[in-house]
Amino acid sequence: MTEAAEHEEYDVVIAGAGVNGALIAKHLTHAGFRVLVLEAGPGSAWSLDGYSRHLDHFYAAASKGPESPWPPAVAAPQPDTADIRSGAGYFVQNGPDKYGSSYTRAQGGSTLHWLGVCLRMLPEDFELRSRFGVGHDWPLRYADLEPYYGRAEHEIGVAADVADQAHHGIEFPDGYDYPMRRIPLSFSDQVLADTIDGMRVTLEGESIALQVRSYPAGRNSVPRGAYRPVGAVDADVDRHDMITHLGERCAGNTSCTPICPIEAKYNAGKTLAQADRGKLRVLAQAVVSKVSVDPVSGMVDGIEYQRYADPASPRHTVHTARGRVYVLAAHAVENAKILLASGLGGGDSLIGKGLIDHPALYAWGLSPVPVGAYRGPLSTAGIEDLRGGAFRARHAAFRFDIGNDGWRATTGGPDSSVVDAVTNQGLYGTKLRAHLAATLPRHVRFSLAVEQLRSEANAVTIDPRHLDAMGNPRPVISYRIDDYTMGGMAAAAEAARQVFRQAGIADCTDPEAGGWFPSVRRDGEVFHYHGMGHFGGTHVMGHRAGESVVDTHQRSWEHRNLYVVGSGSFPTMGTSNPTLTMAALALRTAEHMTEALAARQPIRQGEPSGF
Amino acid sequence: MENRLDQFVRLSALLTGFAPLHLLGTGMAETYLRATDAALPDGVLDELLDAGSLPSAGSAPPTGSAVPGAPAQPGGSALAGGADPDAAAGQAIFGDAKLGPVARALILLWYRGAWTALPQEWRSAYGASPRDVDHVVSAEAYQAGLQWDAAGAHPAGARQQGYGAWASPPAALETESAPGTTGVRLPRQAGAPSVTEGARS
Ligand SMILES: Cc1cc2nc3c(=O)[nH]c(=O)nc-3n(C[C@H](O)[C@H](O)[C@H](O)COP(=O)(O)OP(=O)(O)OC[C@H]3O[C@@H](n4cnc5c(N)ncnc54)[C@H](O)[C@@H]3O)c2cc1C
Ligand code: SF4
Repeated sequence: MTEAAEHEEYDVVIAGAGVNGALIAKHLTHAGFRVLVLEAGPGSAWSLDGYSRHLDHFYAAASKGPESPWPPAVAAPQPDTADIRSGAGYFVQNGPDKYGSSYTRAQGGSTLHWLGVCLRMLPEDFELRSRFGVGHDWPLRYADLEPYYGRAEHEIGVAADVADQAHHGIEFPDGYDYPMRRIPLSFSDQVLADTIDGMRVTLEGESIALQVRSYPAGRNSVPRGAYRPVGAVDADVDRHDMITHLGERCAGNTSCTPICPIEAKYNAGKTLAQADRGKLRVLAQAVVSKVSVDPVSGMVDGIEYQRYADPASPRHTVHTARGRVYVLAAHAVENAKILLASGLGGGDSLIGKGLIDHPALYAWGLSPVPVGAYRGPLSTAGIEDLRGGAFRARHAAFRFDIGNDGWRATTGGPDSSVVDAVTNQGLYGTKLRAHLAATLPRHVRFSLAVEQLRSEANAVTIDPRHLDAMGNPRPVISYRIDDYTMGGMAAAAEAARQVFRQAGIADCTDPEAGGWFPSVRRDGEVFHYHGMGHFGGTHVMGHRAGESVVDTHQRSWEHRNLYVVGSGSFPTMGTSNPTLTMAALALRTAEHMTEALAARQPIRQGEPSGF
Repeated sequence: MENRLDQFVRLSALLTGFAPLHLLGTGMAETYLRATDAALPDGVLDELLDAGSLPSAGSAPPTGSAVPGAPAQPGGSALAGGADPDAAAGQAIFGDAKLGPVARALILLWYRGAWTALPQEWRSAYGASPRDVDHVVSAEAYQAGLQWDAAGAHPAGARQQGYGAWASPPAALETESAPGTTGVRLPRQAGAPSVTEGARS
């Protein structure tokens, strides 16, 4: 295979075409720098035809989990939640608890299957140690990130109204509003709000009033001002111009996870398509295996990657790409894995250590009246009131996501309900139809995502005994859910029970009846949890080298021309889904890189430390 | 004489509770006929079709042995009297150890667009086809699943309802409630505070 990319010079080489890689590529190309993006997975989602093939794959899949439209290449395997129970698959689960999340290794990354929740972190989330005496403080404050949050909301295209979002001390600049109006609350949200709004629950003696609240969503709605929603994209500029208006509004396909059929939901391909294409080169099917470090200067002098032609085969060729600056944007787990495989971890190094997630509980019930389930974005509202408060000194905070997708995630509805009616209840004909019409529209689902604190024992490591088909290490994951998080789980489960009781919703939460999920036990109570896909903490940021892997610009302390970006940098994650915060950090990093690159002379041959 | 497809659709209507016209409207009838034939040993579907065309109620099960304690349709009326030929045919089918499970698989096929493998005991007793495995028939079949219609919804990922449609009551309710309101209230339980008591956070 000829590799033009090997002979060309780049200012920046980026590993990973997910949201982080795409944002940095976009901004650095527009600042005039030449950028190479090496992407492990196939680039098929970046064309309309390819995207449609993924959609067909989803329709025909027997199980419609988050990974179903996105089968991995042999060369770039990925975790699959279906493997958690058997312990097979890409992750080597070291225990004691199972890590329940997955990600996608295809160009566009995990935003191909994300839900699109774009909450800002609460100001108090950045100051957990100083305010509550637990966890860690960030080296940044809410005010430091605020301007970047606003920019990230415009990059991703977030639909929300500021009026709904100023809670728990979240502040917006005067006159600011989101680029698009909030996504209409579902009928289900409205029915539930009628009862839930004003309801109180008590946590650690503190009485907290609840409210059903619209959340900011990375889905297109009605634009404000001059903002133009970004719909479906095609990497081919001519073909892209022929796509008119597809996906410029969410149309209620009810499948945001795992695939939005019309690309009304944000995915990283949209950002990459907005880069200055004359300055950008994207190589798909190029798996970054190592970074090479000059032993004297400590600077990175190249990135090794494996190029494959056939996604069904591990056959590949090995190449090296060079630039002035390098960025690992391959996802929290893969970033750590690449650093460890390059021999850069070990000893006191924090690389890979401190892995977190939002382990989440499901609660599901049958409303006394129809709520119109199985319609609209998978969710359009949440309950945010239990995300903050003095109780955080004692146990984890949590967030309710209120589903519009009935019991799909919990029991596999509506299919499971149909099977039950036909097979167990013996219904058929008009009675079957009437029974389903009377019950399916009443399905209610909450998921309760619980905060998790950093522990160095929770880690991604590598082990030469566990390799993938390309000979690259598979992530070995040690993971334990501690008492602080289980305290939050207990409070969350109790809050859900109270809400169901007060709303007259029959509580059907029965892990035996639902799909299989891993579980933890505390004081005789068993919590069945699922991962939210919110990986974090594996290359933590901090003020000082010994205590962190990267600085506040996500720049490696040890290798000053290397940036390691994404939620791996998070010291804590609060209860907000991480992508908006990582996008804000990526924009801050891109700004810093632009200044740093502009301040230096262009690199000369044989001078790897030119940055 | 009624052709086999018509017979299949008529039986399917009896089993699913959706009218023949609705079933034909899905465009899936022929595909399902073929998929069902493929998933069954030879002749079994014809037995089922014949049973579905039974002229009168109260007949003995056509083949196989009666299932002791076969689930009677809860609330089923008119089964004994012979007033409702469909109910009689249903009883004959679901009371039959050979045809009952096949009929259930056929219902699930229409509702889900996916074939559900027959129980192992059934296959040991009556034979197994290599196509008798759990599978989604096709992308179109998934989208045509009757379960979405029954729910007043749409297949996840297809037949989108349009921006904001989810904010309105589901179609079945819409006629009953005033526009602009949900028209539906959850009964507030005794002891629960009223909306006005709750401070907004
Ligand atoms: C089911 C689900 C729902 C979610 N919903 C939400 C939500 O609502 N809100 C939210 O904020 N977050 C959500 N998330 C999380 C969100 O998807 C991720 O946080 C986000 O996509 C991570 O971005 P990233 O760029 O760091 O990594 P990714 O998006 O995973 O991108 C990494 C890229 O790097 C590539 N790559 C990997 N390894 C290599 C390598 N060795 N060499 C080269 N390239 C490589 C990958 O193929 C990929 O393209 C969800 C996740 C899941 C699983
Ligand atoms: S509801 Fe449908 S159209 Fe809207 S974002 Fe989700 S999948 Fe896309």
